[in-house]
Amino acid sequence: MRDGYFGLRLCRTMKLTNSLLEKLDPRTKIISFLSVILCMILTPITRIRDFGLYFLLILAIGFFSRITPKQILKKVCILVPFVLFIAMFVPFIKEGNVCWSLKISNWKFDITYEGAWTFLNIIVKSTLSIFLLVIATSTTTFPDFLKGLDMLRVPRLLVVLMSFMYRYIFVLIDEARKLMRARSLRYFGSRYKEQFRVMGYMIGVLFIRTFERAERIYSAMIIRGFSGEALSVKRFRFSSMDILFLVGIIVSLVCIVSGLVNKIEHIRVSGAHLWQGL
Amino acid sequence: MARIIKVSKLNYRYPDGTIGLKDVSFEVEEGETMVIIGANGTGKSTLFMNLMGILDGVGYIEIMGLMLNKINLKDIRRGVGMVFQNPDDQLFCPTVMDDVSFGPLNLGLNADQVIEASQKALALVDLQGYESRTSHHLSFGEKKRAAIATVLSMNPRILLLDEPTGGLDPRSISKFINILYTLKSQGKTLLIVTHDLFLTQEIADRVLVFSEEKKPVAVGDYKEILKNYDLLLKNNLVHQHRHRHDEVVHEHEHRHGYIHEH
Repeated sequence: MRDGYFGLRLCRTMKLTNSLLEKLDPRTKIISFLSVILCMILTPITRIRDFGLYFLLILAIGFFSRITPKQILKKVCILVPFVLFIAMFVPFIKEGNVCWSLKISNWKFDITYEGAWTFLNIIVKSTLSIFLLVIATSTTTFPDFLKGLDMLRVPRLLVVLMSFMYRYIFVLIDEARKLMRARSLRYFGSRYKEQFRVMGYMIGVLFIRTFERAERIYSAMIIRGFSGEALSVKRFRFSSMDILFLVGIIVSLVCIVSGLVNKIEHIRVSGAHLWQGL
Repeated sequence: MARIIKVSKLNYRYPDGTIGLKDVSFEVEEGETMVIIGANGTGKSTLFMNLMGILDGVGYIEIMGLMLNKINLKDIRRGVGMVFQNPDDQLFCPTVMDDVSFGPLNLGLNADQVIEASQKALALVDLQGYESRTSHHLSFGEKKRAAIATVLSMNPRILLLDEPTGGLDPRSISKFINILYTLKSQGKTLLIVTHDLFLTQEIADRVLVFSEEKKPVAVGDYKEILKNYDLLLKNNLVHQHRHRHDEVVHEHEHRHGYIHEH
């Protein structure tokens, strides 16, 4: 595999560093990380200080994962541009109080306060979530993660679907790359129109191959007695470390969130506008 | 020896009208190794799909004394393991262990039995320690062996192997033949589809030759069949080849292990 596929880099089974986070039950990680993300999302963006605390919490988790900051940042840098691209246009679209106007010949762009806050909201929350996601994916193998989901009673169909995606995305990438290679070996430059036609053929061929492969895989499954239920022998057990970790996360979340509650109370009492209450 | 597979007058036509199998009839004894040889596209794999009840052709199929129909299908699949040509179709789980334990879990064994059966199967194909490896990171040879383990863990009486040595390097092939010998010595019935005459010579008890008309044209002891040049040549299993030495070009059949006079 070439190293350029970010999906691969994120999903690849990590070299085991034997850190605390790796030893934890995947369920613990799923529950705790999900609750951190949930709290973060529900916190209004105006409470910047709370996000500082969340960041510290994530740093602490990162410390336990024993991954070097460089590794984490490298992966975060792959994902953040996508979010940035999506959020980029929000300040211009959102209606409200204009804080800054941009004029290019006949075109006028207005950036509103509300838009700017929404932008900040998306960027801060998603970046922090990505940090957590990167830590989670680098300390949990994908199969373990799936089993954790399954044991947390996530719908089986969803888990099986994800497991197939994980198994075959690489095969598909490989197949696509083979097609690209075959094309480039016989490609000596042509017009744009022609290129799109070839591209269409390739997508078509890839679809048919995928479809036929799916049929063969399904036959392989029913031959081995598949009846719609995905079963597994691997079982996980909660250890004292899991409980300690979970309690630690929840206590810190409660601390952050309750601080937030106080501040909202303060704002309400003093009657200040949400923006000014910062 | 008891008859374990009986196929008579099996016909199959693909949905687009192409003929897949034409009047196929043969029998397999329990514990024997039957190698089915034929050129590409002669319907060998289609035959396997029919035996497993994935494709339903017209004709009579009897496996382990049971007639192949909807009612018996489950019991038949319990006793017959089929390994696909492409291991990527066979290994569909995230890890090797998941794949190997897939069959026994579906058979309804308990966790301990499943683990024992899976370990045994992995040991048989020399893949101990690969349990938590992800399938797509294995080499092709390892994938092929893992694919066999996925059906061995179900302890089938009959094994259908589609091109088991296709695309393998010489060392992997010899490793594979060793595995096949072990299975043979355990009394399993092997049905192997191939066009590799070397493998045929190594492992076969009897050989069934498929012609390009999608039907069997000859069946018999492997020595007899492999000696029959005309038959092999006619069915595209050996070919005339031309080569040159001492600046003299001459032509003869190409065959493994065959040294000719010059």
